[in-house]
Amino acid sequence: MISVIAIFLSFLKIGLFAFGGAYAVLPLIEEEMVINTGWMTFAEFSDLVAIDELTPGPIIINSATFIGMKLGGLPGALAATLGCILPGCVISLLLVVLYRKYREIPVIAEAMRTLRCMAVALIFSVLLKMLVSAIFPSGLNNVSDISLLTLALVVASFYVMRKYKTNPLYVMLACGGITLMLSLISGTA
Amino acid sequence: MQRFFSKIVFFRPLVAAVAVRKYNIVMLRKAWMLFINTFTISMTANSGYAIIGVMKNRFVDRYGWFSREEMNNYIAMAQSCPGPMAVSSSMIIGYQSAGFIGAFAAVLGVIIPPFVMMIVVTYFYTFIATNPYVRLFITGMQAGVCALLMDVILGLFEGVIKMKSWFYYLLIILLFLIVRLTDLSVFLLAILCLIIAVVKTLLFTGKMEEKA
Repeated sequence: MISVIAIFLSFLKIGLFAFGGAYAVLPLIEEEMVINTGWMTFAEFSDLVAIDELTPGPIIINSATFIGMKLGGLPGALAATLGCILPGCVISLLLVVLYRKYREIPVIAEAMRTLRCMAVALIFSVLLKMLVSAIFPSGLNNVSDISLLTLALVVASFYVMRKYKTNPLYVMLACGGITLMLSLISGTA
Repeated sequence: MQRFFSKIVFFRPLVAAVAVRKYNIVMLRKAWMLFINTFTISMTANSGYAIIGVMKNRFVDRYGWFSREEMNNYIAMAQSCPGPMAVSSSMIIGYQSAGFIGAFAAVLGVIIPPFVMMIVVTYFYTFIATNPYVRLFITGMQAGVCALLMDVILGLFEGVIKMKSWFYYLLIILLFLIVRLTDLSVFLLAILCLIIAVVKTLLFTGKMEEKA
């Protein structure tokens, strides 16, 4: 059994260097768990990626809990989860306290504006990746394999969310349900 | 009665607590709502970006706790923090709506569902990984997540339009190209943004002084 403290420290490191969402973090986890510590094999890691995509919840927390559970049972899971969220919690709290105090200062106000531009660029890049993988399931090399259903669902849910301000959770669940039902009816499942 | 109790040092915190009780009930109600909302979000969505979209829908469009402008600032801050974006955004939004209790409640709401679920999943791992229906449902949900992200981007972009300067459009294009074409980490990108902000403010204030 690997010590709980070692698990905590390992995930503290991941939590501290994990900038930029799930896609940037999975390689980091791979490096720490497979190469640096050798706690997981590469096959186990690819299992983890598959399970992350199929379960709700933020991907980093999912991975931390899953790995922690495998390495050290319930205490391990707790240590891993706390470790990976702790740096983010401290830094975001620091940022928001500073923001509250100094947001009127020109430099800070300007910094907020440039950071918002960064958010637009980053989210747009993620959106592009997601749209391509959702609409072209077999990749951009095979554009003829286009999922019209997904395209229609994206357009319809965007319209519904903008127009009626529906809770996005219901829209997302409806999208999942419609996809599942239609493929059951057409017999592709 | 209150005066009598506050004479005894031991009771002082208690008296203070009674005095601010009304204020606390409002905060506690907000904290509870934060908890319930982040809990349900975290139980359904699996990306930090989706969670931000749902929060925008709930706290800006539905409850009206913040303006769109403020929400855009929170998204920008959450992006610049390490760790899961769901945690940093709920921390920021929780603190801004109900102080420390709010931040604590919101973060707790985000981490409990995945924590419990993943512990259960370790036992049903093969069932979930091989079940075609689970996969279909999740791929279907991706369409909803894409639409949600479009909504978030549109909100952010409306804010950029309000800034009324070509500088920010150029900055967005430049940053987008950097993100797509290079491997620069978000941390360095945020530092770059801060440097640009400092330089721009220095130049701008310099011009103002010249005019005056």
